[in-house]
Amino acid sequence: MTAPHASGERPTARTVAPAPLITAALAALAVAGAVALAPASDRVPLGLGAGAGAVLLCVAVAVAAHAFGTARIARRRLEAVSQDAGRLLQDRVRQSAQFDQERVRLTEELTHERARADAEIAQERARLSAEFEQERARLTAENARLAERARKADHERAAAVSATANAAGRMQALATGMLADLRAMEERHEDEDVLADLLHLDHRTAQAGRLADSIAVLAGARSGRRWARPISMESILRGAMGRISGYQRVRVHSASEAAVAGHAAEGVMHALAELLDNAANFSPPTAEVHVYVEEVPAGVIVSVEDSGLVMGEVQLRRAERAVTGDDTGLGGLGGTRLGLTVVGRLARKYGLKISFRPSARGGTGVLVLVPQDILVSEQHTARPEDALPLPETAAERPAPAATVPSRSGDRPEHAADDRPEQPDADRPEQPVDHRPEPVDEHPQRSYETPHSTPDQAPGAGPDEVRAHDPHRAHHEPGNHEPDALSPVLPKRRRGRALAEAERDRERARARAADSAESPIHGAIPGPGADSTAVPLDDPLARAARFSSFRRAVRGSLSDLGESSPAENPAPLTPEPSDEPSVLSHPHPHPHPDPEGNSTS
Amino acid sequence: MSRPGRDDSPDRLYTLTGGRARSAPDSPFDLVTLVVAECDPVPGMQSEHAAILRLTQRPTAVVELAAELRLPVSITKILLSDLLAAGRISARHPKKPASGVHDPDVLAQVLVGLRNL
Repeated sequence: MTAPHASGERPTARTVAPAPLITAALAALAVAGAVALAPASDRVPLGLGAGAGAVLLCVAVAVAAHAFGTARIARRRLEAVSQDAGRLLQDRVRQSAQFDQERVRLTEELTHERARADAEIAQERARLSAEFEQERARLTAENARLAERARKADHERAAAVSATANAAGRMQALATGMLADLRAMEERHEDEDVLADLLHLDHRTAQAGRLADSIAVLAGARSGRRWARPISMESILRGAMGRISGYQRVRVHSASEAAVAGHAAEGVMHALAELLDNAANFSPPTAEVHVYVEEVPAGVIVSVEDSGLVMGEVQLRRAERAVTGDDTGLGGLGGTRLGLTVVGRLARKYGLKISFRPSARGGTGVLVLVPQDILVSEQHTARPEDALPLPETAAERPAPAATVPSRSGDRPEHAADDRPEQPDADRPEQPVDHRPEPVDEHPQRSYETPHSTPDQAPGAGPDEVRAHDPHRAHHEPGNHEPDALSPVLPKRRRGRALAEAERDRERARARAADSAESPIHGAIPGPGADSTAVPLDDPLARAARFSSFRRAVRGSLSDLGESSPAENPAPLTPEPSDEPSVLSHPHPHPHPDPEGNSTS
Repeated sequence: MSRPGRDDSPDRLYTLTGGRARSAPDSPFDLVTLVVAECDPVPGMQSEHAAILRLTQRPTAVVELAAELRLPVSITKILLSDLLAAGRISARHPKKPASGVHDPDVLAQVLVGLRNL
């Protein structure tokens, strides 16, 4: 702004000069004229005065011209400045309007955008809500479906397990029945070839029975059978051996007198059978498996040592875990390896403690602790038979008690030391010598075969028959003539039908009646046979009373017997598995005896 | 057929004899062989062996032993063979009566009696 006006601030000499020059020229002319016209005398003052006046005039004209030029320049500058100010103002107004317009536009856009975003958000939210609802509904349906499937699977699993348990129970019953049949056949057939075949079948059947037992244990059913009396450790081990294929390689080193309570005997046997089977299977086919029995304060330790494969650390841990029985599900079953799982179940049930370790024999050693609470001291083994006052048994007992000390005085003590279960209390010290009579041997049996049942002592009569008539031998286990004489109650051995017992009794009665005229039977007189013949009618009446009593209590006693079969030696506790065999016994009883009616 | 009885033993017969079902061919035992124990039972012995030794403290016939042990005669013979091999028992046959066995009259009477059965 200043620059264009810098040249115009001052009027240039060119613009200012003409006026004073013209004035000077004119004044010079006027002065010159006046001087020329004036008298010569006046010419000099006049010329001086006029010249001065002319100079003054020229100066005044120059100043006026300069002032005029300056004013003109100032006016021009003022106009320019005014023009600038107006333009600036105009610019500003324009910009302000523009700004306002822009602001309004932006505000509108913002509002619009916000509304759009709001709408979008709302829409998105609605969409998501809908999707969420849909998903939730789907998941709920899925959940219900899965729950239903799980429930169905649970149900099916329970049904399958139950069916398996049922089938296994039937297989067990079948195997047990077959074993009993085979035993009866083994008693009956004298031919060694037949016997060998029967033993082979017996062995196979025992293995099949073990498999059925394993399945039953895995399915949560009970063990195959219960024993009504304690089973000695020797029988436990032999029972376990008998159920494995390689039993001939098992060497038992046992002098233990311990016995396992009847309710746990089967489980212990089964567990040991599985462990023995493992030991035999995982050792060379010619190597022996050694079993040691040791009595410790906590119970009895059975150690099974093989010289086969050494189990690695991982295998040992896995085996230890399997036999603790902590995993009660069936998920841990690994295909063909059932044995240790079965052992674990049994160990958990009966409190067995099982540990594995490398054996000094080069293979694996298994230690099984049979706890004290399922062990029975041998003194109690024979108690149930003594608990029943059986007069004919007592009548027979003096014979051996007398005959043994009659020959060597140290024998009874030796027997008592060796077999503490021998019931000495029931032996009256009567020095009666019955040596020539076969009945002499009967009471001795109770300590000669520690696994023999308490019921066996009364079976003296049939034994005597069997000794002289092998063809009747297979009837012997169920023979009941002496039981019928019991002043308390007749005894039905477990698993025997009452009808069968009745038949045996009738046979005995017929035999007793025949004994007078039959020369053969008369030739072998025995107190057992004689005593059975005499008081038969009286026990028959008692048996009838007992049978009605038994019918009345059968229902309630069946569970009672399940809980404590070992404590109750009397046959009032029917084993559940025996009930069907009793009820469905195929032999109708010929004579109208209440017992026969109750069982047919 | 028989049922599993309360008095069954868990022992199977083959476990008593280690799987043998035949006695040795030169086995001296028959039903009436008399057996006498030569020593007392020792602890740790198989219970049947101990029982046989107790039973045979005086001469006892094999068939009686089998009845007492409640074992088949064949099995009893195998057990006896083991004991005999170990020198724990001795066996002898009953003496034949001096006369009468071959008496035809007695035999005829026995035959008649048998037929009458």
